[in-house]
Amino acid sequence: MKKVYCEVSKCVGCKSCEIACAVEHSKSKTLFIAISEEPMPVHRRNVQSINKLIISDACHHCQEAPCVSACMSGAMYKDKDGSTQHDEEKCVGCWMCIMACPFGTISRRKKLAIKCDLCKDNVKGPMCVISCPTKALSLKDVQRGEL
Amino acid sequence: MNYIIIGASAAGISAIESIRTVDKNGKITIISDENYSIYSRCVLSYYLAGIVSEDKLKYREDDFYKKYNVNAILGKKVVSVLPDKKIKLSDGSEIPFDKLLIATGSRSKMENITGIEKEGVFGLRNIDDAKRIDLRLIKTKSAVMLGGGLIGLRAAYALHKRAVNVTVVVKSKHVLSQMMDEEGASFVQKRMQEQGINILTGLAAKEIIGDKEVKSVILENGNKIDCEIVVIGKGVQPNIELVKNTNIKTDWGIVVNEFLQTTVPDIYSAGDVAQSSDLITGESTINALWPNAIAQGKVAGLNMAGKNVKYSGSIGMNSVEFFDLPTISYGITKPKGEGFEILIKKNSVKNIYKKIILKNNKLVGFVLVSDVNQSGVYGSLIEKKIDVSSIKNNLLDNNFNFAKILPLISENRKNFTEPEYDEILITNK
Ligand SMILES: Cc1cc2nc3c(=O)[nH]c(=O)nc-3n(C[C@H](O)[C@H](O)[C@H](O)COP(=O)(O)OP(=O)(O)OC[C@H]3O[C@@H](n4cnc5c(N)ncnc54)[C@H](O)[C@@H]3O)c2cc1C
Ligand code: SF4
Ligand code: SF4
Repeated sequence: MKKVYCEVSKCVGCKSCEIACAVEHSKSKTLFIAISEEPMPVHRRNVQSINKLIISDACHHCQEAPCVSACMSGAMYKDKDGSTQHDEEKCVGCWMCIMACPFGTISRRKKLAIKCDLCKDNVKGPMCVISCPTKALSLKDVQRGEL
Repeated sequence: MNYIIIGASAAGISAIESIRTVDKNGKITIISDENYSIYSRCVLSYYLAGIVSEDKLKYREDDFYKKYNVNAILGKKVVSVLPDKKIKLSDGSEIPFDKLLIATGSRSKMENITGIEKEGVFGLRNIDDAKRIDLRLIKTKSAVMLGGGLIGLRAAYALHKRAVNVTVVVKSKHVLSQMMDEEGASFVQKRMQEQGINILTGLAAKEIIGDKEVKSVILENGNKIDCEIVVIGKGVQPNIELVKNTNIKTDWGIVVNEFLQTTVPDIYSAGDVAQSSDLITGESTINALWPNAIAQGKVAGLNMAGKNVKYSGSIGMNSVEFFDLPTISYGITKPKGEGFEILIKKNSVKNIYKKIILKNNKLVGFVLVSDVNQSGVYGSLIEKKIDVSSIKNNLLDNNFNFAKILPLISENRKNFTEPEYDEILITNK
């Protein structure tokens, strides 16, 4: 399985990834139109900092995903490729997943949970990686042991 | 190996999934007295509200049992666990097992109140309950919820959405008294009242009156509320009857150890019926909640299949949203006794409330209203029992997020064992 890694020493906090993510998950997929869409597109990646350290963080597609265990509707699930995905059709907006995610990477849009889907519907791959001007973000294979 | 699982809900289904990660070929039989697809009872109030269709109650595919090679016996009750590694069904048949999981969950606690047997009085636990309430809505103008806990409020919200006049009668001083402090709960209560749900606190019902069908509820203070539906939300009662007359120790529920074993070898229990230890307080209790049932089912399944996995303990936690006001409460929210430190931030205009409870510089609980998105980060600090002295002053900051705990993760590597934390630190030199 692959996920997006953030090389903290390279992240300058420009938030290009946040914008690219929101645009990719908008209806129009263009920045100018996306900003006036209702509901507003939500970015699934968040640039955060502590002291001098800056990190762009999003869903880690956990091996044993707490959000999946907590989801009481079956909306949050582990896909065959190992990624953690979300079925908007099933989601009831109970926020059990938000309560469970240790990384705080799930946000809310109206009654739907919103999180990184690795841009699974875009052959170009995660748009945050493409948008990152310093190459702090990269899509790499995950090396995790057996459960 | 011949596994039997009693109860096909959160804990039972989770156990099947975990057994199959270890034992691909063992024989698994699951028995449930509910003759339905695998559905989530937590979604019932959304179904009742008309927000989701019956189909959306299912949280696993219809071919689940086939895919996991499980023999499902549905619509039959297990009446007792027999001494010689057998169980007995309602039709009199007996089935032997090598490993047994009792995941019979709990049922609505029906109060001892006069008139409770009348038509129109319901619990809300099973799909049948939801359907019966739904059917009665055509002749319903008003409804009374007895109990202001999660189920009472969820039911109230659902019926309000269906244009019923709803009154919630709460014995405690405020709603959600099991899971939240008074101040946090007041935000929920106020929002519901503003939206037209009538909430009466500090009051109990005395009697349900009517001929065959419910006509009204008489309260302790003599007041009478006319209604066609009464929903009882007075908590739950574990389904332990099937282990009566066995050596399986019961207290409130079925007592299990940290491997989720009962006091009889090869018999395990998980979910709402199992009494295990609370991760935060260490007390032996039942936190009858979906995520706990899933986690327990998983650990019990692994151990039944021969692994040796410890369960870390259940957590009292909950997330509810009514009328666009989300709230999450977790762990100890109403500390009693010495040694607690409480941090609070609030803004009544913006409906923001954050309360964090610490003991010995470790988080033991929190209540969040409106701004709930980072609750899992707090939750992980509680679960991993991390000393947060160094970030105590920032815990309530508006921009508190995962990055703020990175230094704590570096300092406490042995507590953050999941591979995902390594993946962050690799890039964090
Ligand atoms: C309306 C509602 C809303 C809820 N909302 C939430 C929520 O938001 N968050 C949360 O965490 N939790 C919530 N819960 C609680 C959650 O549903 C339970 O914690 C969870 O379902 C427990 O799962 P379980 O597998 O232990 O037992 P159960 O789900 O109770 O399932 C046990 C099954 O075993 C069957 N059974 C019992 N005895 C026998 C027998 N002798 N023979 C055969 N079969 C038997 C029962 O019929 C049932 O199908 C809610 C519950 C309800 C009813
Ligand atoms: S949403 Fe959170 S808990 Fe779920 S897989 Fe992603 S990081 Fe893990
Ligand atoms: S908000 Fe949606 S995805 Fe999250 S736990 Fe609830 S139903 Fe599942």
